[in-house]
Amino acid sequence: MVAYLKIAIAETSIMLRCGLENMLKHLPGLHIQIIDIGHNDILLEALKLHKPDILIINPLMPGFANTSVGQLRDETGLLQLKCIALLAAIVPDELVKQFDDYISLYHDFDEIKQKLEALLHAPDEEEPDEDETQNLSSREKEIVICVVKGMTNREIADRLCISAHTVITHRRNIARKLQIHTASGLTIYAIVNKLVELSEISVKSEE
Amino acid sequence: MYKQGFYKETDRMIDLIADNYPMLLVTNRFGINLGFGDKTIGEVCRMNGVDAFTFITLVNFLSEETSVLSEVVCSKLSIETLVMYLHNAHDYFLNFRLPHIRRKLIDAISDCPEDVAFVIRRYFDEYAAEVDKHMNYEERTVFTYVQSLLNGKKDPKYNISIFRKHHDQIEMKITELKNILIRFYPGKSSHLLNSVLFDIFTTEEDLASHTRVEDFLFIPTVLAFEKTLA
Repeated sequence: MVAYLKIAIAETSIMLRCGLENMLKHLPGLHIQIIDIGHNDILLEALKLHKPDILIINPLMPGFANTSVGQLRDETGLLQLKCIALLAAIVPDELVKQFDDYISLYHDFDEIKQKLEALLHAPDEEEPDEDETQNLSSREKEIVICVVKGMTNREIADRLCISAHTVITHRRNIARKLQIHTASGLTIYAIVNKLVELSEISVKSEE
Repeated sequence: MYKQGFYKETDRMIDLIADNYPMLLVTNRFGINLGFGDKTIGEVCRMNGVDAFTFITLVNFLSEETSVLSEVVCSKLSIETLVMYLHNAHDYFLNFRLPHIRRKLIDAISDCPEDVAFVIRRYFDEYAAEVDKHMNYEERTVFTYVQSLLNGKKDPKYNISIFRKHHDQIEMKITELKNILIRFYPGKSSHLLNSVLFDIFTTEEDLASHTRVEDFLFIPTVLAFEKTLA
């Protein structure tokens, strides 16, 4: 499963920035967009503009040293922003503690990937039943059929005697398993897998 | 990966293209003709009546991923040139790229069951209609507004921040179609279908960088210009 991520790298050394960027881009399964920040002057502006998921920053970057991570989140309004310290030199523990994690110069691909994944899946991850990806349960298939026929969540709930909330949960799981987020996409899936006949759906779509 | 770098007016145009061939799309959208021999970027721009500073800024912006331009840079960009670039890009997507992919796609899926071909075609057509609507809004509303702004007329009811707020990405659905084809396509794979997938991959990137130019280059430039009229 490919995760899309926006990562900002704030570091004055272009060599370090490019090196880290290059490593991040080679991590399998992650589709990463990099925001390159070479000076503390543009840090706030760049974060506000691009709203990255993760900031990797050298705590010793000139101009940044006196800012706390909490302050940074407040000032940018990015309260969920994950912050990783990029350690290129020995840095006091006090300074590193406020970060969610740290990366040092000698971490390899696997270590960095693990750190990113740990951060992303951190606390409130919902029922991670990753193993049975792609295979829909029979209830989920029923729901796909209803969606493809153009029924609303309310109608589906009534038809299957479940709550609308449960329908939404099922739909979210379906989207995650199939990586399909639109009704037209589900239609292709349903036709390919012979869950519905074309005649059952094209009538509805003419309405 | 394409070579990254800061190009200057004195670099040769041929080197820019050789380092990074998608730049051919860019020169095309600026109305720059091929056949420029060993001329520098600056010379080629002047020959084609293109503002060289805007060209260079856009090229570096695209090849570099850094996307924060200072207000000073924005105030030096030519809005007319940017509008021309964006307009030509719209024309390319709507009148060339998408119809071209559609023709190839239909051809490529012709041997899969008729009902599957039907829903794939419908998906694509719905997507193309969305892109059409998105880009036509920019052509009719945004560019018209910017044009009158250039003539010194402000619009009391519209400004570029309105556009900024509801401007969305447009490559998501075609990415989804590509993923569906790769994950679930029931027919035989073929050279043609592969070629369609290649086209979709590049179009996806092209659309994403198009949105990036609009969000982080065009909008800030118009914002800066709006301020000068205040």
